[in-house]
Amino acid sequence: MGLFTRRKTVFVDSDVLVIGGGMAGCGATYEARYWGRDLNIVCVEKANIERSGAVAQGLYAINTYMGMQWDENQPEDHVRYARNDLMGLVREDLGYDIARHVDSCVHMFEEWGLPMMRNPETGRYQREGKWQIMIHGESYKPIVAEAARKAATKVYNRIMVTHLLMDKTKAGRVAGAVGFNVRTGDFYVFRATAVIVTAGGASHIFQPRSVGEGMGRTWYAPWSSASAYALPILVGAKMMQMENRIVLTRFKDGYGPVGAYFLHLKTYTENAYGNEYESNWYESTKEIVGDYIDHQPVPTCLRNHAFLEETKAGRGPIRMVTKEAFKDPHLETVGWENFLGMTIAQAVVWASQNIDPKHTNPELTTSEPYVMGSHATCSGAWASGPEDCAPAEYQWGYNRMMTVDGLFGAGDTIGGAAHKFSSGSFAEGRIAAKAAVNYVNDQGNDQPQVSETEYEDLKKAVFQPLENYTIGRNEIVAGTVSPSYLLPLHGLQRLEKIMDEYVGGIGSHYTTNEPLLTRGLELLDMLREDLNFLGAEDLHQLQRAWELKHRLIASESVTHHTMFRKETRWPGYYYRADHPKLDDTNWHCFTLSRFDRESGNWKMEKAPVYHIID
Amino acid sequence: MPTFVYMASCDGCGECVDICPSDIMHIDPTYRRAYNIEPNFCWECYACVKACPQNAIDVRGYADFAPLGHSVRVLREPDKGLISWKIKFRDGREKNFESPIRTTPWGSIKSPSAYEMPGPDAFKTQELAHEPEALNIEKLPALTPISLNQGVV
Amino acid sequence: MFTSNPFADLTVFLPPFAMQAFIVLMIIAVAIGTVLDMLHKSSAKFFALHVAKSNAAATRYLSGAETATLAVKTVAIEVAAAGEFCNPQRRISHLLMFYGFLFYLITTVAMIFGYPTHAMPTPVVLPVLWNIGVIMILIGGYWFFFLLRVNVVHDGQPVFRLVLADLFIVTLLGSVTFALIWEFVQTSGNLAATKITFGLYVFFTTLLFGSVRWSKFAHMFFKPVVAFQRRVDEARGVSSLPAPATRNNRS
Repeated sequence: MGLFTRRKTVFVDSDVLVIGGGMAGCGATYEARYWGRDLNIVCVEKANIERSGAVAQGLYAINTYMGMQWDENQPEDHVRYARNDLMGLVREDLGYDIARHVDSCVHMFEEWGLPMMRNPETGRYQREGKWQIMIHGESYKPIVAEAARKAATKVYNRIMVTHLLMDKTKAGRVAGAVGFNVRTGDFYVFRATAVIVTAGGASHIFQPRSVGEGMGRTWYAPWSSASAYALPILVGAKMMQMENRIVLTRFKDGYGPVGAYFLHLKTYTENAYGNEYESNWYESTKEIVGDYIDHQPVPTCLRNHAFLEETKAGRGPIRMVTKEAFKDPHLETVGWENFLGMTIAQAVVWASQNIDPKHTNPELTTSEPYVMGSHATCSGAWASGPEDCAPAEYQWGYNRMMTVDGLFGAGDTIGGAAHKFSSGSFAEGRIAAKAAVNYVNDQGNDQPQVSETEYEDLKKAVFQPLENYTIGRNEIVAGTVSPSYLLPLHGLQRLEKIMDEYVGGIGSHYTTNEPLLTRGLELLDMLREDLNFLGAEDLHQLQRAWELKHRLIASESVTHHTMFRKETRWPGYYYRADHPKLDDTNWHCFTLSRFDRESGNWKMEKAPVYHIID
Repeated sequence: MPTFVYMASCDGCGECVDICPSDIMHIDPTYRRAYNIEPNFCWECYACVKACPQNAIDVRGYADFAPLGHSVRVLREPDKGLISWKIKFRDGREKNFESPIRTTPWGSIKSPSAYEMPGPDAFKTQELAHEPEALNIEKLPALTPISLNQGVV
Repeated sequence: MFTSNPFADLTVFLPPFAMQAFIVLMIIAVAIGTVLDMLHKSSAKFFALHVAKSNAAATRYLSGAETATLAVKTVAIEVAAAGEFCNPQRRISHLLMFYGFLFYLITTVAMIFGYPTHAMPTPVVLPVLWNIGVIMILIGGYWFFFLLRVNVVHDGQPVFRLVLADLFIVTLLGSVTFALIWEFVQTSGNLAATKITFGLYVFFTTLLFGSVRWSKFAHMFFKPVVAFQRRVDEARGVSSLPAPATRNNRS
């Protein structure tokens, strides 16, 4: 903002508003146009949809593909797989729904131009594993973004959505959103009938292993700032399983992917002394989780658990044995291209440390925890399921609609449907969009109305950090230390330290208990108050400030959920030291929460897990 | 491994500023050329590196754990549908890779509006656009649960 | 107005020697500014190190003819055609300013040294080219300033928030704008107004040539040298970039 420029308020009207232009958002935008030919469909993204989201650098595999056309898998099998991996607790209806649609998404990607690898013998997509197929996906996101651009009435890049708006005529119904233009500083008021939240999950809520420049090398994208959770939480949408954070075992420092290595290169792990170690921990794991350890494949968290126990016993570093596999030139190419198409930084790490997997078995590590809805975990909003197979208790309206009318979600946003990955997120975006179009058509003339008071108040709040900085800056000579405002990075590092020490980060061996969680909530409380004093020097810092605010809300949710579930359901992801065992008698259920912004209270409840597939 | 911009090659066109998913590529006020303002929020996604028409952006591994002397550089050629990589180890070893990135021309995706309008009945079914044909099977799978089981399976 | 030598009219209040001395001073200022900039940054040393590294890493050597060809290419493409700009609008605006500045500079020197007074009639071509040059700079320059600066267009900065990188364009536009204004005012005959506008012209011109140590002015000397070296590096196989892909992927 200059001396002579006034901040403009821009109004954008739409029938369907898609917030977040990642895989789920692009799927939603495409599908919304198919069903809503004459509708006004807007996609808003804080970065540039060409490369935004977790698929910015590309992917080397599509991890969710049934292959129904070749009888490779059926959707029920995928539900069983995801349920097993999540220790029994998934929304089977949502998972089935995604699994039955995902194949058409993949076939559309191929038609659009995504290079698929093919098995030379069978001619089918080259399988990496039972559910995964291999692709040359460097341009996966640009291809999908092109489809979204062709579908949308308009795509707004560089607009960060900070809040949803509620209908002033009917309680409990969404009416749009507000945000700001990261380049011009203009305030945006989106007025919409249906809103689909397809924003990012939560990275950077727990302290990462590297804290200098290396802070940027999180496993999940650093721009996944938990908007997927903060936006719905603040308008009272119920959330589920926010305690179900995920910890990844990946290559050291770069967090490069191991899937292709295990599945395609058939590599395996060993401890520092060259020994297999997972069997060392079978008995003790069985004492914690019972028969779950006998399931095949072994759930991801339990494999993590063995890894953690082995390293705690002092027999790390754990390495992946690659020397044999890399002798095959084809497998060597796959091993490197796996990174170049998906996590280039791992190639950089190995090049910098002279690690050639042909001659060296590279180190593995476990990451800090992440909270998201689209991977081997399923935290997120509680959503209504598909009409034809969701149990009555899981259905209250349109498919993928949250407990707020007109508010839909997909991808990281929606909980309960684990193992979606990129194709499943895209599929869920499509599912939500078709439902959203039906919702729009059904509203008819009963359009939600935004409240001018609400968005004017929010406008002040949105830009407050800029004012805090400008005014507070007068107090000090120079530098980053001010008694009256915090820079966004200060707040972020405090948040990450609190979560690390009290809610089960790497610094506490992923372990927590009720006294720690209670103290953690106290510290988060103070941090939340302090975030009223964030100081943003410019619009980029303002974006960082709002990313932090979203992260904090999500972190509070995670902490409440972690406190509520009195068991250790997923050893290897986190441990409740005061309830160290899995307890199916009392906790074979979902945890739900609802935040009431008037009172500031969190209300927790249990929801039954219905198994609709045997 | 955050990005950096070569002074001699950058002509300040702004492509990297437009593409960066992290909003960290911005214009330096002294030279009016690009630079990475926040390497600790750089994911090394290489979006800017690939987008730079002058190949003026490169990556130096994160100082937290990447020793100096390495190089991982890329040439993305959208018109050919190909991407090439050159990896140089600290000790001088080199590896080169070339992969396809797209099999169809850029801009060639058919808009969803170009397909025949779905009939009114289609709105109430579970089929998404282009289904069931795009599934390459006859029918969209459906599930009618005969009974609901609570608890452990 | 466009056909008469505006500098000759200055002799009403300024001896011709004054402008000639001023030009010499400005040339010296540019030279000193450039040298000071290079010394401050050790940029010559950096460049020498780069050349040495390139020589050591070269996989093939260039003959005299090849090197000369590269030099000619640099002059023809990078310098004369502004080939380093990938954005066509910026390229055109730069070319307008570049050639406009050449016309303007050369004709200024020619008029001040060759035809300092009205004693010898100035060939019409000189003031005409001077004015064409001025107008080219103004078109290219204001177009760049208002519509093409990357920090404004891509980075969202307000147009009038000036940064150090603007020092060159602002002093250039100030100098050339007041050149035109002074020329116009001078034809009206109002001596006071002429002196004021001429004073502003001289002020901005002094800023332009005197601020070389801090502005992007000296880049116009560095860039061709760097561009030539880049061509040499590429020709000698000294590049960390992968070679262009050879297979065609279009199916």
